[in-house]
Amino acid sequence: MTALRRLPHAIKVGAILAIGGILLAACSSTTTSTSSTGKYPLVIADLAPFTGVDAALGGFYEASCLAATKAMNEAGGVLGHKLTCATFDTRGDPADAVPATNQMFATEPHLAMVIGCTSDEAASVVPIINSKKMVMFCMTGQSQFDHVHYPYFFRLVPPDLAESYAMVAIAKYYKHYTRIAMAFGNDIGSQTFVQPAIQSLKKAGITLTANVTLDLTATTFRTEAETVVASHPQAIMTEALGSADATFLSEVKQLNGGKMIPVIGTSATISPAWFSSVAGAVGASTLAQNYVADNLVTATSGPEYTPFYDAMQAVKNQVKSLDAGSLQTLLSGPGAVHLFDGMNLAALAMLMAKSTNPSVYKADILKIGDGVPGAVVVHSFAQGKAELAKGKAIRYIGPGGPTSFDSYHDSPGIFQVDGYQANGNVVVLAGITTAHYRAVQ
Amino acid sequence: MSLFIESIGFGLITASVLAIAAVGFTVQFGVTDVLNLAYASVMICSAYVAYLINQLGHGQSIWLAMVVAAAFGAVVSLVLNKYIYAPFQRRGTSPVAVVIVSLGVLLIIEYLVQAFEGAANVSYTMTQGATLNFLGLTLTVVQLAIMGLSVVFMIGLHLLLRYTRFGKAMRATAADRVLARNCGIRTDRVITLACLLTGALCGVAGTVFAINTGSFGATSADLFLVLILAAVFLGGPGQPYGAMLGALVIGVVTEVSASVITADYKYVPAFVILLVVLAVRPRGLFSAGTLN
Repeated sequence: MTALRRLPHAIKVGAILAIGGILLAACSSTTTSTSSTGKYPLVIADLAPFTGVDAALGGFYEASCLAATKAMNEAGGVLGHKLTCATFDTRGDPADAVPATNQMFATEPHLAMVIGCTSDEAASVVPIINSKKMVMFCMTGQSQFDHVHYPYFFRLVPPDLAESYAMVAIAKYYKHYTRIAMAFGNDIGSQTFVQPAIQSLKKAGITLTANVTLDLTATTFRTEAETVVASHPQAIMTEALGSADATFLSEVKQLNGGKMIPVIGTSATISPAWFSSVAGAVGASTLAQNYVADNLVTATSGPEYTPFYDAMQAVKNQVKSLDAGSLQTLLSGPGAVHLFDGMNLAALAMLMAKSTNPSVYKADILKIGDGVPGAVVVHSFAQGKAELAKGKAIRYIGPGGPTSFDSYHDSPGIFQVDGYQANGNVVVLAGITTAHYRAVQ
Repeated sequence: MSLFIESIGFGLITASVLAIAAVGFTVQFGVTDVLNLAYASVMICSAYVAYLINQLGHGQSIWLAMVVAAAFGAVVSLVLNKYIYAPFQRRGTSPVAVVIVSLGVLLIIEYLVQAFEGAANVSYTMTQGATLNFLGLTLTVVQLAIMGLSVVFMIGLHLLLRYTRFGKAMRATAADRVLARNCGIRTDRVITLACLLTGALCGVAGTVFAINTGSFGATSADLFLVLILAAVFLGGPGQPYGAMLGALVIGVVTEVSASVITADYKYVPAFVILLVVLAVRPRGLFSAGTLN
């Protein structure tokens, strides 16, 4: 110990930093050892919020990643590589997301693709990821990606603009409401719904009774709730994640004489975190009776759904936030379904291109997603791999349904009306017809 | 007009929760000389402890759970002061550096809570009771209970500080620790008891905060910490009566401005008032001396 004390201060600091570095490396969320086939594992990065108000998103995407990679590895992996998932926390903040993205590229030499990139951080990270020529499947509906071409950007969720129209179509044609209030969070992802929804409500002849913004970090919204209640809406269109919607809607219920005002949510509200939070605050059965949301049409049974369901069941114990109820909700949640499809599309494209280089395989994502004449339809990575091995062209159709990419790599899909049961299970209530959707555009 | 009157009622509820938290915070600061930003994370930890008790069996009374949360808050506050802040102070660490240490503790505790409890928000199993309408206000029975609890704590603290030996010893320690020790006051013991007392208030504040919000997570009290600081500095740091007044002003102005201006900027007028008051009275509204 005496000898240690005699060491120069700089050496001691250096030793501490070195030990810290070793410990950090040991605690890294991915395994960098080579696989049993002798090739290094490919990494799928989950770049999303794991802390902050949208912290639940990252964990649910991770569940989808674990499920997809498990199924891929059981089918032999990609070109001799196993696949693993790594997580990178953006804190749901565009400023924090940039160093997280840089860290991702610095620490993952075998990165194969990126998932996540929610509306919270997409604006700041998509250009970086694109400049690094890395394929990404992003969970953002932001309209700024509707008409800007990022060659490595892919999106299987609808633009917020489209989702705003879908919500208004639900109000007009499914619920026959004439008076609507809006309450959206003050985050980027929620605010993008507001202006398109206002214009769409006007076109639909629906009166906007109140429009309040919910500060996601605030602890009470009583005055906002009273503003909404006093305007006597028939329903509230909302998306405010974290605890905001739970607090706000419980206050609305209280100020409305204990009676809940019906809610029309965005597809982001179809999430285990949102359900448990709001159900805890207003009551599960009350929420189930008064809630609908738009969602892209997704499979709930059949050959497209079974591989996804089996894969999610196989990893349900690996994600802490995924109890039985949450898993049931997640099976219909956009975060799980569309990212699962995105990862399968990318992995199959690697096989088709015989390369794990995103610059090489990205073009095949479009071919496998949209299909080519004579392509064999497959519903899982294993099926696709087998057909590709036979030299056949394939078209992948997963739980999110068939894709149809436009020139900006958006595949918006068609909408349906979903609801909750009191146990958190998601049920399909109706479809949204193209005519109804176009009428409010 | 109706919304304006209702917003005053909403402000009183916010002020009640804020007062319990701010008074505990400011007394702790007065006695220990530590601006303990980790107070907010201890609040949330206590709220989670109350949640765990509340979820036992078929749902335990939240008021019983609050007692356990208060005990938890007391112990954690004592441990933080004894094993983290006090050693830094003994080594001569500057007060600003100790604030940064407390910020680090805040983040560590929040991340630990999130690691153990997950990212999803939770709610207590309880009813809000009947909704009552009177004098243009709309309040639930539970909200009235929170306001009553706050009043009881404020009166209790007043009696403690004014009429008990311990209260007088706390005031003396806060005013001048060395002089108090030279006068025969066992200041270490006073600080220990003050940490337990303010920690218990922190535990209660966390529980009523979670009851009031209806749903909470690991980081839910981050903005609330800013409101606590605003209330404390408006009244004058180390001033329990100042914190009570500060909580009232911040709570009511925030909700009233949401009704008369816009909810989007409801915190702005409260902080403008804080800036104006500090410009006129740099040591806050109650600036005679600590814990007076």
